[in-house]
Amino acid sequence: MLDRLSHNWRVQSRRQFFTQAGSGLAGIALANLLHQDGALAASAPVDPMAPKQPHHAPKAKSIIWLFMEGGPSHIDLFDPKPKLKELNGQPMPASFGKVVTAMGTANNTLMASQRTFKQHGQSGLWVSDWYPNIAEHVDDLAVIRSCWADGLNHVGSVSQMNTGDILAGRPSMGAWLTYGLGSANRNLPSFVVLLDDKEPVGGTKIWSSGFLPASFQGTQFRQGDTPILHLKAPNGISDEEQRGKLAYLKELNQRYDQQRSDDSELDARVRSYELAYQMQSAAPEAVDLNSETAATKKMYGIDDPETAAYGKNCLMARRLVERGVRFVELYCGSGSGWDAHNNIEGNHSKWCRASDKPIAGLLADLKSRGMLKDTLVVWGGEFGRTPFNEKGTGRDHNPWGFTMWMAGGGVKGGQTIGETDEIGLRGVGERYHVHDIHASILDLLGLDHERLTYTRNGRAERPTIVGGSVIKNLTT
Amino acid sequence: MLSTPFRSQRGALAILLTVGALAVSGATTTKVFTQQQKRWWAFQKVVKPPVPAVRNTSWVKNDIDAFVLSKLEAKSVAPNPSADKVTLIRRATLDLTGLPPTPAEVQAFTGDTSANAFEKVVDRLLASPRYGERWARHWLDLARYADSEGFKSDETRPNVWRYRDYVINSLNSDKPYDRFVKEQIAGDELYPNDPEALVATGFNRHFPDESNARNVMQRRQELLNDVTDTVGATFLGMTFGCARCHDHKFDPILHKDYYRLQAFFANTRIEDQAALLKPEDSKTWETQYDAWDAQTKTVRADMHKLVEPAIAAVYKENFDKFPEEIQMAINTTPDSRTPFQWQMYHKSKWTLALSDEDAAKKLRGDPAKKYAELNTELAKSDSIKPVNKPIAQAMIDNGTDSPKTFVLRAGAWDAPTDEVQPGFLSIIDPADAKIVPTVGVKSTGRRTVLANWLADPQNPLSTRVIVNRVWHLHFGRGIAGTPSDFGVMGERPVNPQLLDFLTANFVEGGWSIKKLHKQIMLSSTYQLSSGFQQAAAEADPDNKLMWKFNRRRMEGESIRDSMLSTSGILNTKMGGPGVFPPLPEGVVTRGGWKTNEDESERTRRSVYVFVRRNTRYPMFEAFDMPDTNETCSRRTQTVTPSQSLELLNNELVVDWAKAFAGRVLNDGGMTQEAQVDRAYKLAYSRTPSEEERSLALTFLRKQVHILAEQAKKNQKLIVPRNLPAGVIPVHAAALVDLCHMLFNSNEFLYLD
Repeated sequence: MLDRLSHNWRVQSRRQFFTQAGSGLAGIALANLLHQDGALAASAPVDPMAPKQPHHAPKAKSIIWLFMEGGPSHIDLFDPKPKLKELNGQPMPASFGKVVTAMGTANNTLMASQRTFKQHGQSGLWVSDWYPNIAEHVDDLAVIRSCWADGLNHVGSVSQMNTGDILAGRPSMGAWLTYGLGSANRNLPSFVVLLDDKEPVGGTKIWSSGFLPASFQGTQFRQGDTPILHLKAPNGISDEEQRGKLAYLKELNQRYDQQRSDDSELDARVRSYELAYQMQSAAPEAVDLNSETAATKKMYGIDDPETAAYGKNCLMARRLVERGVRFVELYCGSGSGWDAHNNIEGNHSKWCRASDKPIAGLLADLKSRGMLKDTLVVWGGEFGRTPFNEKGTGRDHNPWGFTMWMAGGGVKGGQTIGETDEIGLRGVGERYHVHDIHASILDLLGLDHERLTYTRNGRAERPTIVGGSVIKNLTT
Repeated sequence: MLSTPFRSQRGALAILLTVGALAVSGATTTKVFTQQQKRWWAFQKVVKPPVPAVRNTSWVKNDIDAFVLSKLEAKSVAPNPSADKVTLIRRATLDLTGLPPTPAEVQAFTGDTSANAFEKVVDRLLASPRYGERWARHWLDLARYADSEGFKSDETRPNVWRYRDYVINSLNSDKPYDRFVKEQIAGDELYPNDPEALVATGFNRHFPDESNARNVMQRRQELLNDVTDTVGATFLGMTFGCARCHDHKFDPILHKDYYRLQAFFANTRIEDQAALLKPEDSKTWETQYDAWDAQTKTVRADMHKLVEPAIAAVYKENFDKFPEEIQMAINTTPDSRTPFQWQMYHKSKWTLALSDEDAAKKLRGDPAKKYAELNTELAKSDSIKPVNKPIAQAMIDNGTDSPKTFVLRAGAWDAPTDEVQPGFLSIIDPADAKIVPTVGVKSTGRRTVLANWLADPQNPLSTRVIVNRVWHLHFGRGIAGTPSDFGVMGERPVNPQLLDFLTANFVEGGWSIKKLHKQIMLSSTYQLSSGFQQAAAEADPDNKLMWKFNRRRMEGESIRDSMLSTSGILNTKMGGPGVFPPLPEGVVTRGGWKTNEDESERTRRSVYVFVRRNTRYPMFEAFDMPDTNETCSRRTQTVTPSQSLELLNNELVVDWAKAFAGRVLNDGGMTQEAQVDRAYKLAYSRTPSEEERSLALTFLRKQVHILAEQAKKNQKLIVPRNLPAGVIPVHAAALVDLCHMLFNSNEFLYLD
């Protein structure tokens, strides 16, 4: 029974098994077992970050999620629509079906893309002139054109793309991943969030651990050399002074713990101080870009004020992944930057420029270091944009059909998956819901979205709630 | 690849009509419960079992011990010896008040050789106002209490703090639990003249809310779901959530039971301006107000004229954003609004309104000047204006007629099937609840029926659930290990006879939580040491049978309070709006966080710290404070480096260590030995051993050396304010380091 249940918990002892199981594993079998054997110990060791076995051999070790917040226009970037050119300025033909949009724009006339699309690479994938640098990497990209989501508005949709649900409160994907796999490093957080501008809509909830233990939530790295809260000793406390204090603390704790040697949680607290001390130097080192060469920085566009912000974050993402961070989420245009309800030309020109070179640099850098093969890179927003205009020059939110792409981490590049209708309004044929995206990402990282469960209020909760299937052909 | 029902395209208007009229049949079928389900322990009547006979009678201090010991003896496990007196008073004090005992309290207890010495301690602690502040926090976890809305903007709820104070006061006054339940479910209907009871209804108002939601119909359903889930878990210990979409897969909760429970709340609405005046005070207030109103009528009318266009513009802008059916609900005249439309109206109207005061902020130029002049004029009447009424954020019914409740297919708000009436769990009572209209209150009376059922001494669930919660909080583990899940997926009680015995006792004794505390704490079981026993551990590795006390780390709130108390700077002022202690630099909050200017407000008890949904106070969050978006019955307990960083590097903690050292210097005398002894007394409630003292002195010596080197380089030393004369700064700084490490140590942080 223990063997069958311990799919992702490395069980050392019976007692520990129950503790870990109580905070994690679910299923009827477990409930029965508990009923047979009793229940959870009250004060038992819980090291939430201990590495755990994946469900199957992972293709990717880490993930870098490039989140274009606000909703980038798929029909101006990766999904060219000649038909839209034809119908430019006309009302949407009834054959495409009615939609209710966020801003009530469904009766507005269709608006063709003003971008020029070209085929690139050996694979001949289409990319518009807004993304010239990323276009050079198309042979590494799997472009999924028939994504869809449930929410109409930003808060719900950003929430769903992170947590699976348009209502806040569920765990973010990075939290699920850390819960499922533990941490691959011991002195940095496992789930890191980087912003380039304001706080994303929905706030810190979107990298929350939800109902999972709080330790699984994402850590938003702060600007500057102390990315983590309370990383530095307060002014006036030198390293030598601190080391002296920690040595004394260790003696205090060991003395106390000696008489309580059965309680490994006390021991874990002693270790957590050692880790904290290491983190004080490891985290600033991880975000310190000074050791990177000028050429590398240039590759990420850090030398150019227009691309520097996102470029720095992309480079930081690579450094974090190198150091064993499992999940790095980098918001581009954080605070709904891409939300082009009007003047999409101006808006998207700015954000495409801000992200094109940094992302291309990241892909090139990961590849040249041999990291792309086990680092999954995901690009996308919370939804796409409508083929009909808003205010003449912009586009409204489109959750019915939009594009995301993945690269690295076992993904087969140079392919498009799925399609939208002739005007890019809805996904048609094989459509991929956010839950399918999540299931696929977890699959690449070695986790089965249906077996990655946590019991909450008597229910075995999973990242994909009640849906989700792994996208076919993503890796082959 | 359809993952969820594809809802977005369905016509919302059609749905509104459906909700009002016809429903598709077929979702609810008559279900026959199995014998096994009917026999499930939690649904059985509570019958007081006889107290079992045990061999080791001398160990039995009260009946609890007989129940515990009979299980231990059956497995041949001997209980641990009792904890020593210092451990015991620390345990009891931290447990009941969330604060360590003072050295004087410890001394009084250790010096008291009378047989009821510990009972005196328990009585004193239960009488302390600090008790309610500590135990309220447990209830607030269940109530998903927060001072803000959540979602994107996370606006402040300016008056919900009264609910927090209500819980504290209710616990401190030992309000009978049945009354406590009734007030929170239906205080407005049952006790219309009691302002406290109106505040209590805030329990059902603590859902996170999206103030900008445009689909108010969907939002209404989401809020009702929240209330259903929370009430089901908190009072009944059942996980209703699963039955939202289908019959519960494990528990005998039918799909329709979810909506039967929900129907009790179908006519509720938020009342954020609930005035809390007793009728007689209200009359006085009205008279004063009328006088002011008459005197200022003209000037206010003139002011209003200036801001009218701005108000109209905001109205139009927001009105236009609503779907057609909401607009219709708003525009329908009051006497022809359906109950459902009333709810839509109440949920949307506030977004349309703009106060004159806020509208005035939009004025520029001459009108702004004019408005300011008039405002000055208006202020002249301030002396006769009554102070604002105290306001609660409550949950009331919207009149006597309720919208219909339907079973929703797959829980989708726009997929109603069969209509249901309010009712309890079918397995307990399949009939519709008998609703009696309220007298004197414009309300459906539905919640009164639910409240009475929950507070019924015969209710097998609600009675056991609260007793098990109290046990869980004392021992870190319930008799049934899942306090909010008494269903099949939960854990069965380890000692069901004990649970029933305590439950029967509790109800007989007038639902007194304080009596229950006392009964538990005066048992030998509670007073066991937490020490390790090889033989017992082999027989019962998880301590299910209670052969030892479960040691556990304190919650973040208690850790903070303990540090403040040990430092002598805890401000014990009670009640009032949430306080804002400093946030670490760089932590941004949406919705605002204005640190209190008055420094003494920053050191008030943690239960008073403002709870902003999207920004849990970092220190509490690091130590596993639950997410406030849903009810939490059992906190997780983790060990992470961020907790260590929090205690090691947070400047506030260092500040408190400074205050602690200052206190030690003031009362400890001039010798370092005396200072170490005093620090130990304050932090650990005991004197150090010889070895510990010498360890501390060695540490101080080493730190003095390091600090003296730093001082030579003109580096600033961290020393207490107002150093007593004669204290050498480097010595004081070393003592701060010592105090700081005591705060970080396991002995300080664990309830043992």
